[in-house]
Amino acid sequence: MFAHLLSVMIFLPIVAGLILLFAPLSRTTARIVGFGVSLAVLVLSIDVYAGFTATGKLEFVEYIPWIPSLGIAYHLGIDGISLFILMASAVLLPMVYVLFGTREKGYYANLLLVEGAMIGAVCAADLVLFYVFWEVMLLPVFFMLGLYGGPRKIPATLKITLYTIAGSLLMLAALAYLAVQYHALTGEWSFSIEKMGLLDLSGHAAALALFGFMIAFAIKIPLFPFHTWLPDAYTEAPTATTFVLSAIMAKIGVYGVIRVVMPAFEMEFARYALFFAYAGVIGMMYCGLTAIAQKDYKRLLAFSSASHMGIIAVGVFSMNVQALTGTIYQIVAHATSTGVLFLFAGILEERTRTRSINDLGGIASQAPIFALFFAIAMLASVGLPGTSGFIGEFLIILGALKFNVAIGVLTGLSLIIGVCYMLWLFQRVFFEKSKTASERFKDLSPVESLAFVPVILLILVMGIYPHPFLRKIEPSTAQYFAAATPVVAQATTVTPALAADLTTEKN
Amino acid sequence: MEHSTFYLGMIPLYPLLGAVCIGLFHVLTCKRWQVPPLVYGLLACVGPAMSFFLALRVFFELRALPLDARFFTYKAFTWFSVGDLHLDMGFLADPLSGLMLLFVTFIGTLIHVYSIGYMSGDKSYAKFFAYMNLFLGSMLILVLGDSPVVMFVGWEGVGLCSYLLISYYSEDRDNVLAGNKAFIVNRIGDLGFVLGMGFLFWAIGSHGFDFLSLKANAHMMTESSILIVCLLLFVGATGKSAQIPLYVWLPDAMAGPTPVSALIHAATMVTAGVYMVARFSFLYVEVAAAGMIVAWIGILTALLAAIFGMFQDDIKKVLAYSTVSQLGYMFAGVGVTAYSAGIFHVFTHAFFKALLFLGAGAVIYVLHHEQNIWKMGGLKKKMPITYCTMLIGALALAGCPPFAGFFSKDEILYSALANGHFFIWLIGVLVAAMTAYYTFRMIFVVFHGQPRDQQAYDHAHEAPLVMTVPLIILAIGALFAGFYNLPAIFGGEQMISHWLAPSVADQHPHDSFLLEFFVIATSVAAFAFGLWVAYKRFGKGAEEPVFTGFARFAYHKFYVDELYDAVFVRPYKAIGAEISEGVEPNMTDAPVTGIARLYMRVGTLVKVLQSGYVRVYAIYMVLGLGIMSFILSQSLN
Repeated sequence: MFAHLLSVMIFLPIVAGLILLFAPLSRTTARIVGFGVSLAVLVLSIDVYAGFTATGKLEFVEYIPWIPSLGIAYHLGIDGISLFILMASAVLLPMVYVLFGTREKGYYANLLLVEGAMIGAVCAADLVLFYVFWEVMLLPVFFMLGLYGGPRKIPATLKITLYTIAGSLLMLAALAYLAVQYHALTGEWSFSIEKMGLLDLSGHAAALALFGFMIAFAIKIPLFPFHTWLPDAYTEAPTATTFVLSAIMAKIGVYGVIRVVMPAFEMEFARYALFFAYAGVIGMMYCGLTAIAQKDYKRLLAFSSASHMGIIAVGVFSMNVQALTGTIYQIVAHATSTGVLFLFAGILEERTRTRSINDLGGIASQAPIFALFFAIAMLASVGLPGTSGFIGEFLIILGALKFNVAIGVLTGLSLIIGVCYMLWLFQRVFFEKSKTASERFKDLSPVESLAFVPVILLILVMGIYPHPFLRKIEPSTAQYFAAATPVVAQATTVTPALAADLTTEKN
Repeated sequence: MEHSTFYLGMIPLYPLLGAVCIGLFHVLTCKRWQVPPLVYGLLACVGPAMSFFLALRVFFELRALPLDARFFTYKAFTWFSVGDLHLDMGFLADPLSGLMLLFVTFIGTLIHVYSIGYMSGDKSYAKFFAYMNLFLGSMLILVLGDSPVVMFVGWEGVGLCSYLLISYYSEDRDNVLAGNKAFIVNRIGDLGFVLGMGFLFWAIGSHGFDFLSLKANAHMMTESSILIVCLLLFVGATGKSAQIPLYVWLPDAMAGPTPVSALIHAATMVTAGVYMVARFSFLYVEVAAAGMIVAWIGILTALLAAIFGMFQDDIKKVLAYSTVSQLGYMFAGVGVTAYSAGIFHVFTHAFFKALLFLGAGAVIYVLHHEQNIWKMGGLKKKMPITYCTMLIGALALAGCPPFAGFFSKDEILYSALANGHFFIWLIGVLVAAMTAYYTFRMIFVVFHGQPRDQQAYDHAHEAPLVMTVPLIILAIGALFAGFYNLPAIFGGEQMISHWLAPSVADQHPHDSFLLEFFVIATSVAAFAFGLWVAYKRFGKGAEEPVFTGFARFAYHKFYVDELYDAVFVRPYKAIGAEISEGVEPNMTDAPVTGIARLYMRVGTLVKVLQSGYVRVYAIYMVLGLGIMSFILSQSLN
């Protein structure tokens, strides 16, 4: 069984989720089963983390041919990049079962399904398999949002589903193009992500395929201007769904860019990187500015999440080892800070029955522990040194400055923009005088506090002693900038920016 | 060496642990029983005191080292390492950080003791002390950090504590707004710091990003890149040290409890910018223009703040503007490459400004949180210790020989003139006169004359011992701190300048007794003039003035806050609202909803065709067959 650790981590929640869906169980049982399974995945993930040796190559590889005639395989494996997204989902999801009041059975079933699918997506080493999990991820979200969402759930559900599927179709076409190109050049069929990395496609068709992938990923991340599904979906979705969307699923979009697009389209990617980096910073500013005008705290956090995703995107497109490593680090930091803020928002909503900032105030004096935890997550989200948020953001800004000074400076603006809306929110909700809705706000119970303690500690430990984490990431990210000699050399021109990168990164 | 420098890491750790302990202890006990406040107060004093003793040890160990190798480091662990960026959580003790350590921990400890008295009636006592300890820990990281990034950890940490303590009385909206303002304005500065670090890293950081390596490799940088780095770092300094144009947060920061104003917003944190420039002096000396910008911003801030200080009616605001003004002097000092003079002023200022704030705090405490000087008067008789100690502080601030402030200010003014910056010196002298004026205006109005509020006066009494003892200790400091750097003209040895020489890149002008004598004479004259005007106006009691004309303009601080509000804050919010309500639905989201609507419309159109009647479909079939046979016949021909 332990030879197939990744498979177990993928299919344990999926099978459990399916059983929950069809077995006549009570809500409480469903909740307990969900919690148990997610804990089991957490335990397994710790095993994976401990066993991960950071060679820069795929580890924990599983390979079973699936459709041999087309070279499609059930092929799993993780590197330092997938590891951290995997860990984030394994560590964070158990909290969801503890924190909120018992809900419908289907809700827990869908949570399990989405966990399995997300883990599958980051473990997949085959494009078709990746695509399958990518699509499967959306289904539980569709049901959770559509069935258990807020009053305006239907339009929100339609928008996120149709929008994402539209992107997925483009991706399907693009990945078919990759396989065809690979076949044309080598004479064999394969959908292996690793092998696609040996391709180095350029030209108009390649650019089209690049944009096919990029639009799919940009919708998921979401990258400006493809973010318009986000505020509605994040606001209307039940807390757990928003949390899953923001903390992990968005990151799988970034992961796709790093894993699939960057290696396969090296030259074209370098050509359009500046364009995408601008999309990132514009998105950061746009969503950050919008956040300050929100009257609904969940919506404010939704824009904040989108704004931070802009920074993460900049890290990917800056194309140097500092920025990319910072991106992976920031992915986890964002999950544990901005993602976790949604959990706090969920608790706020559950206890005050309002999402309006104007109705709240003075919670810090009513509920000091809640306020303290919220403040720590908030400070991590604005990148205060000593929290995980700083390390990632600093590395991204550093890398962005090298890539392009203007991008670097604009990325730096997030230091200011983030603080503006967050302090404003904190002031209105936690400081000032209590209002009726927040007058008797109950502080976190010991069990709830205990559920948050690991993630709060993680925020601090990752900020104070990031070295052990970075050591697992760096070999995988550094690989992208090592002397990459494509087997199938097609490119004729090397852009100066890339050439400079390649030479300096070797040192 | 490793084992013997280990304690360097403990210096910031003790207060940080103190903060964690107080916090945990409070969280675990607050719901069950009431812990007597004194427990927290004493607990809070332990960390700073331990750090102070370790700081003494650092000092003596440094002194034992030979002059050219007077530093040691402690690397706790590899902090992070990515590509060619390598950072340790490392601490550096050298003469500069050693001196800062000494007085930061010393004054920090005193203020903690004082706070036991001042905060005695407060509800959330534990929170206050946890924040204070957290602050001191961050400040010590800032001072000891062996690389710009570790320094930045402390730099932002003190900013956070500053925010938390300004908005300490968080029920009042204005206090929270003041806290937000401090945090955001500081963040604007921090952006400069971060970008400065970024450029510095890409220039020479790959050979080691700690201060010692940077210093060794600074020669590899081009002049223009040094200038860019220096200016960006200085943007950071203007934020933290409240210089033009980012000074606006400091006066508002007085919303916090008075010990906070003394420790954070006068004695330690706000001088971090000066410390940082001195730390990077190896860069600033390379490019004269960078130093000049620093010096001019500094001296103009000194002037502006002194103008504002002359018209304030809140005792803490007077002191706040005097802090901004004195910080301006310090920057003028480091700007004209007299780094040791600037740091010397940081050192003396810490004593007398902490003293003045704590004295003001004692007054505020006994008057039940009255801060308006026009409600005070004649307190001399009721509070003799506070009066005497504050008088010493005032004399030191105003630059009266032989009090501490005189020597350090004189050193700066002398360096400015000797290095050929006549106008900086001239403005400096002018500000000196203004400083004497507003300082003694405050002293006269508060302590002399007749009581203006008889009822408050009757209830006034001397502050408790736990508050007056720190005042007395600080007063001794304010009296004698200046002697540590006595210039040669008074037979001194300039101990601090010599001490700092290995750390900072001072450029010494040739000593000229005549010039020095001239500078001293003008400074004393300026002090005497300011004192005289203040005495004439307020010495024997005065009524609250009604400001008109320029005075009114200055009373309202030239409407700078209003200007910033109109130019930055409001547009920022308006843009946010505009994007949220206008751009997002009508432009960004329009294509998406547009496509959806188009799809619906096409669907409606096509729907008409599918009527469900067989006869209609028969017509379609006939039409289709007709078209097909037409095409077929065409193609066959």
